[in-house]
Order: sequence, then structure tokens, then C-alpha cells
Amino acid sequence: MVDALTRSMRASHLLLAILVAASLVVAAIGAALGDIFYLRLATEALIFGGLAISVDILLGYTGLLSLGQALYFGLGAYLSALVLMVVPSFWAAIAATTLASAVAGLIGGFIVNRVRGVYFALITFGMAQVAAKIVYNTRALGASDGLIGVPVIDINLGVTSISSGSPVGFFLFVLALIVVMYALAAYLLDTPFGRLLIALRANEARIPFLGYRTMTPRLAAYVVAAVIAGVSGALYPMLRGFVSPELMYFETSGNAVITVVTGGTGTLVGALYGSALLTLLKSVIGSFTPHHLIVIGILFMGAVIFLPKGIMGSIRPAIERMLARGEKP
Amino acid sequence: MSEAVQYFQFVLAPQMLIGLVLGVAVILVALGLTIIFGLLDVINMSHGEFYALGAFFALALAQIGLPFWLLLLLVPLLMLPVGYIVERALIQRVFHSGDRHVRTLLLTFGLGLVMEDSYRLVFGPNPYRPETPITGGVEIFDIFLPSYRLFLIIVGAAIIAAVAFIVYRTRLGAMVRAAAFDRDMAASLGVPVQHVYAGAFAFGVALAGLAGVLLAPIYSVFPTMGRDFILMAFTVVIVGGMGSIAGVVVAGLLLSQIQAIVALYISPVWSDPVVFGIMVVMLMVRPQGLFGRLGHG
Amino acid sequence: MIAPILEIRDLSINFGGLRAVDQVSFSVERNCITTVIGPNGAGKSTLFNLISGALRPRNGQVLIEGVDCTGQPPYRMQAAGLARSFQITNLFDELTVAENLRLAAQILEPTTKIWRPVRGSTIAQARVDELLERFSLTDKARHSVAELSHGEQRRLEVAVALACKPKVLLLDEPTQGMSQGDTQDTAELIKSLVHDVTIVLIEHDIGLVMSLSDHVIVMHQGQKLAEGPPSEVRANPAVQTAYFGHA
Repeated sequence: MVDALTRSMRASHLLLAILVAASLVVAAIGAALGDIFYLRLATEALIFGGLAISVDILLGYTGLLSLGQALYFGLGAYLSALVLMVVPSFWAAIAATTLASAVAGLIGGFIVNRVRGVYFALITFGMAQVAAKIVYNTRALGASDGLIGVPVIDINLGVTSISSGSPVGFFLFVLALIVVMYALAAYLLDTPFGRLLIALRANEARIPFLGYRTMTPRLAAYVVAAVIAGVSGALYPMLRGFVSPELMYFETSGNAVITVVTGGTGTLVGALYGSALLTLLKSVIGSFTPHHLIVIGILFMGAVIFLPKGIMGSIRPAIERMLARGEKP
Repeated sequence: MSEAVQYFQFVLAPQMLIGLVLGVAVILVALGLTIIFGLLDVINMSHGEFYALGAFFALALAQIGLPFWLLLLLVPLLMLPVGYIVERALIQRVFHSGDRHVRTLLLTFGLGLVMEDSYRLVFGPNPYRPETPITGGVEIFDIFLPSYRLFLIIVGAAIIAAVAFIVYRTRLGAMVRAAAFDRDMAASLGVPVQHVYAGAFAFGVALAGLAGVLLAPIYSVFPTMGRDFILMAFTVVIVGGMGSIAGVVVAGLLLSQIQAIVALYISPVWSDPVVFGIMVVMLMVRPQGLFGRLGHG
Repeated sequence: MIAPILEIRDLSINFGGLRAVDQVSFSVERNCITTVIGPNGAGKSTLFNLISGALRPRNGQVLIEGVDCTGQPPYRMQAAGLARSFQITNLFDELTVAENLRLAAQILEPTTKIWRPVRGSTIAQARVDELLERFSLTDKARHSVAELSHGEQRRLEVAVALACKPKVLLLDEPTQGMSQGDTQDTAELIKSLVHDVTIVLIEHDIGLVMSLSDHVIVMHQGQKLAEGPPSEVRANPAVQTAYFGHA
């Protein structure tokens, strides 16, 4: 017997498969036309989709609104840039950012998890602001200019290698990496640990009476989210060749929240669809007017009021019903 | 004269005075924020944009020739219906959902984005510097202070006192506090809760608009003006205690002094991280802030 | 001598000036139903909050099988073998009945299983099926809690508390708001549980209390007024004054 939550997750997998298929088509068309700009943009959408997944783990599953997830994204981006400028190795950069964001997530988690609800949102916001200002003021990190001149690297995959400078190659590589992170998150959320997170969101007060501390799963979810945000951030300088303090600002955190809420909180895959949609909107509207924020803001408000489950959250139940029919002999 | 006195007169005191002006300015913005949280339980992420709206209203009306003194009265009055409509048309739609905090926060965040970009659309991205309504300056204890800043301190103090009086000493305030403490109980006692909530939001937003008019001659008018200011206002509200008026005043004065002193002894660029750091520490050790919440004891 | 399964010694807490629970002591016998009764505001639910770790007592002790658990948080109390239900239904509303039970039963699994997919939690699943059957909720297993009737929610509340196989089960007004028929069924159910678990009950329905309980504790204004077998307690004049307002 498949329970309802496992079935929801399978519906998300199906939606992910569709997204991956669409991405492959995009990659093929891009390669055929020799496009660089849009493939780079699509890669960026995936990277910010990774950040949005980390927001969804907290907001959609654990019930924690983080307004400061850019802290870990920025940490990953800066650390990756620094590593790559010394050792141009993808794996060194990923290993360093994974470790560093796990440690930072643990420390940050102890700080922010002391409070609940709206105070959690505010403390994550405040902590990210402090970090952003410190980076902004640190000359060794390029201060307001950020770090430029991150070299193009060859990602060694054993049998072959992919250049971060190749639009199609790097797009496909990032796609694969984001799918791996999605799979990791999806796996965790379908374990009793993940169910505990869902229960935390539903009714935190009852958890201790079931024999669990609430701090441990909250902290664990926060660390997992930090690592996913950090690794996503680590990909950014590989794509763009630079990092800037803007990556740590509230705009970045806020965008990730908009992405998740529009795409569908508590679906994981909604984060990726949301990111694709927002990137598309920005570039389409951006070609007519510089005022894309008005449109995105209105769209976002509309989602909050009329579509609280987001786009994928509204589509997914139909797929779940389809899957349920399929299960019956 | 001893060196210490000179140091105080020429270095420390002017810096503290700058801090005081900033403190009064931040308190004016934070007052509306704390009232809206205290009464409606809503984190108004668009508060900075309402502050900017007041400044842009003033800018537009000044261009058609209205005097500053009239704007001081007119702009808050204009803000009232705006706030009332925003509360009834938008916030009420998500107010009764299970996760009110998150959804109202997200909604006002989206609203702020729309408002800010609208200002850019209408007024362009560049700053305007309205003429200072009062020119010249005064010397207080041998320290030079532009007259307008002195005016701001006095008027600001008067506004703070008036707001505290309205909330704590009038029948209207009592009604509003009752609605904040127990919505259903207040409704059963004949308090028109719907209007009280919308009215309280309008009042908070009008205060932000008034701050916009008052501060425009000092800090200029530009689309993102709210964004920079609101961080400090949020910090003040959190440290003071979300929803506390006394807390806002105390924390506003305290934090602006800390900011001024840090700017003097360390560097101006470190004043923001230090103040935000205080906010994080405050949230960790005493999330309810220095003072309790409005209407709650 | 074997220590009692649950022993309370001089348990007290103040709220402001009010002595909500004042020097209450009693012990509970294994595989029995002990019922705490008393008028509203007597401190019954506060007493449960103190025993289950939801509140920390100002003084006094809570001993589970002779082990001092005073002031421990609820998850430690659970680990010591104590579980509870709530007077106001306290479940995971948006989740299904089966998932509510599975969450409560997953503590029965070895800790390493927490990182394995849920469908591998066979011990928890067996417990869920058993409880669904026993509490007549099998038909509702895939419904969300919000879709259940009040009576079904109250039943699930008890089942969730029982899912972790506790030694002592505190039930705070399990029949609260139930119809007469549901109340009778629930009473039968509770009676049948006592083979596996020791039950401490808060109950208002005096008829039910008398038929169900092995031992009754009467509370009044935060203090223990009397205790004993149901018939003895009913005959106690002090109890009659406090409880019924006449002797």
C-alpha cells in the first residue's frame, strides 16, 4: 500500500521528469542554434531553482519561512569562487562548499531555531543581513565589487570532462546536479525523518509527546537546506565567472521565496518550475520594459491570495488521483 | 577648556545629535510598523514603500504649488484611504487563513515590490531633494544644528506623544487595544472589529507617510528609499518588542546612538552590521523584545 | 517490593497567586484504571500537564517505575513509558488517519530506520493496522483528520497516544463531546486496553467513572480531596459537598 504522502512525492517525480524532458529539448534546440545567452539563462534558472528547493524544504515541509537563505547561497558562491581561483577543480569547490555550508548551517541553525514562527523569519532575515554587510565591507572579498575573474574550469567526470564554459555541456551538468539534489531531498522527505518534518509543520506542539525532540529535526532540516543552497551557490561563479554581494542580499532570498510560493510550496518540484517561470517572465517582460517587478509582484500577490498552493500544488492532486487509479489492481 | 570637553563638543556631541535625528526619524517609521503588528498581527513588509509613498505624494503635491506645512497635514490624510483599501482589499483576503503570519508577510512583500517599481516607473530612478522648508541653523551648547533638524526632533517628539496618547488614553485606543487582545470578545462587546483593523492599518500607514514627508528634505526622495530605512525600522521594532510603542521609542533612541557611536569609533560601514547583530542577538535571547506587546499586558 | 508504575509525590504548581495544583500525591497500580475527577478548575488538566512534562512542577516528584522523571520534557517522559492524549483534539489535521498513527508508531522502529524510506517501517505499519482495526478506523485510514466526525477524532486521539505502546497512558477526557452511544463504545474500548497498559483518566461522566474505574482520585481547588474505590469515594461526604454542592 502506498500512502498519500509517498504518492504525492511520486507525482512530483513525474512532474520533474516532464521538466527534465523539456530541459533536454531546450538544450537540443539551443545546441542546434548555437545559442549561448538563453542556455546560460536557463542554467541560471536551474541554479536559483536549487536555492528555491532549499527554501521549500524549510517552508513547504518543515513550516519555517526563511528570509535569509541567500546567506548559504552566497557563502557557497564566494567560497567556490575563492577555491576555483586557487585550485581550478570542480570537486574541490563542491567539497569545500558542502562542508562549509553544513558547518555554517549547523551554527546558524542553533541561532535561528531558538525562535518560532514569525520570529524565525525575522531572525533568518537579520542574520543574512549581518553576513551580507560583513562581506560588503571586507576588502579581501572584493567588498562591493565582489570577486571577478573566476576561471573557466574543466569538470572531470572520470570518463569524460565538461567545460564550465560550454553552454550546452554546463547546462546539462547543472541539470544533472540539481536532479541529484532534488532526489536527495525527496528521499529524505519520504523517510520517517521527513515525515517528522511534515508533522512539525502540521502541529509542532504534539511532536514531543510522540517521543521526539523538536529541535533535532528542525536543525537537521535547516542543515540540509543550507547545504543545498550552498552547493547551488557554488555553481554560480562557474557559470558567470564572478560573484557579488548582491547574491547575499535580501533580494536573492526574497526571490527564492517568490519562486517557491508561485511554483508550489511543499512540492519540491514547484521550486524548479517557479524558477523557470520567473526567469522566463523576467526575460520576456524585460525585453519590453525594465519594470518587470510590477508584473512579478502582482503575479506573486495573486498566487498568495488565489493560489496558496502555487502552480504545481494545484496541478499535482490531479496526477495523484491518476497514480492512485493506476495502483488499484 | 579641557581637552575632554572639547572632544565632547566637537566630536562626540555632534555625532550623538546626528544619531538623535536619525533616531526620531526611525521611530516615526517604526511606530506604524509596530502598531500594525501589535494590532493586526501582520508583519507589513511594504511599510517602507508606504513611507516612500508619503514622500512621493509630498513631492508631487509640492510641484503643483502646495506649501510644505499643508502637506504635513494633507499627505497623512491621503494615506488613510490608501491604507484602509489595502487592508480590506488585500490583507483581509489572507488574514483568516491558518498561516496568517506567513501569508500576510508574503502578500505585503509582493505589494512592496509592485509599489517600489511603480515609483520607478512614474518618477524615474533618480533621487529628488525637496527644498528644506526651514533654512538656517541654531547653536545649542555651541553645537551647530540645522533648524529643520531641530524642528524634526520637536515635531517628531510631539507626534510620538500624540500617538501614545491616542493608543493608551483615548476611547478609540482602548477599543483598538481590546480588538487586538481578543477579537471575538471585542466583537461581542460591539467593537466594529473589521473597521478597527482596517483603520489601524490605515493609521500605521499614514504615520509612515507622515514620516516620508518629514524626512524627505533630509534624506531625499527615491524609489528604494523605503528599503534602506525599513531594515533599521524593523530592527527597532524587534529590539523594542514587536507591537510596543514604548519599546520603539526606547530602542529607536538606543540603536541610533549605538549606530552613531560605532560610526565614530569603528567606521560608518560597520554601524549596520553591528545594529543588525544586536537584532539577531535580541531575537535569540529575548524574542519578545525589551517591552511587551500592545494590548497584551 | 516493586515500585508502583506511576507515583506522584507532593506535586505543586502556582499560576500567579493561584495554587493550580497543590501538594498532590498518589500512586497508580499496574493494569488498572485510575480516574481523576473534580469540578471544572480543580486542576485536573494541569495535573496531567505536570505528569506528562508539558509543565514543570514548582515542587514535588513524578516517578515512573520508581525512576524520578520530575521536570523532564515530554519526549523523555515518553521514553520512560508515559504517553497522553489531549482534552482538545491535538492531531495532525491535514494528514491522513493512517499517517497520524504511523507518525506516533514510528518510535517503535530501531532508530536507524528513520533514514530509510517509510515503506520499510514494517513494525510501525503493523502497529498502525492493529490500531486501525481495534479503534474501528480502518475504513477511514486514508481520510484526513479534518474529514472525520468528532467522535472519530476523539477515538483517533486515544489511538495516537497508545501507538507507541506506553506503559502508562494518560487520557484527558477521551469522551469529551461524544454522543451517548459513542461514549459507551469508547468506555468498552478503554476497558479492553487495560490488559496492556495502565490508564489514568480524566472524566466528567460520573456514571462512566463509577463503572470504569478501579480507583478514583477526587480533586478540588488544586488539592486531592479524597481517593479510593469508586463506591467508597461516592459515599464520602466531603466529596459530595465539593462535587455536588450538597452533602
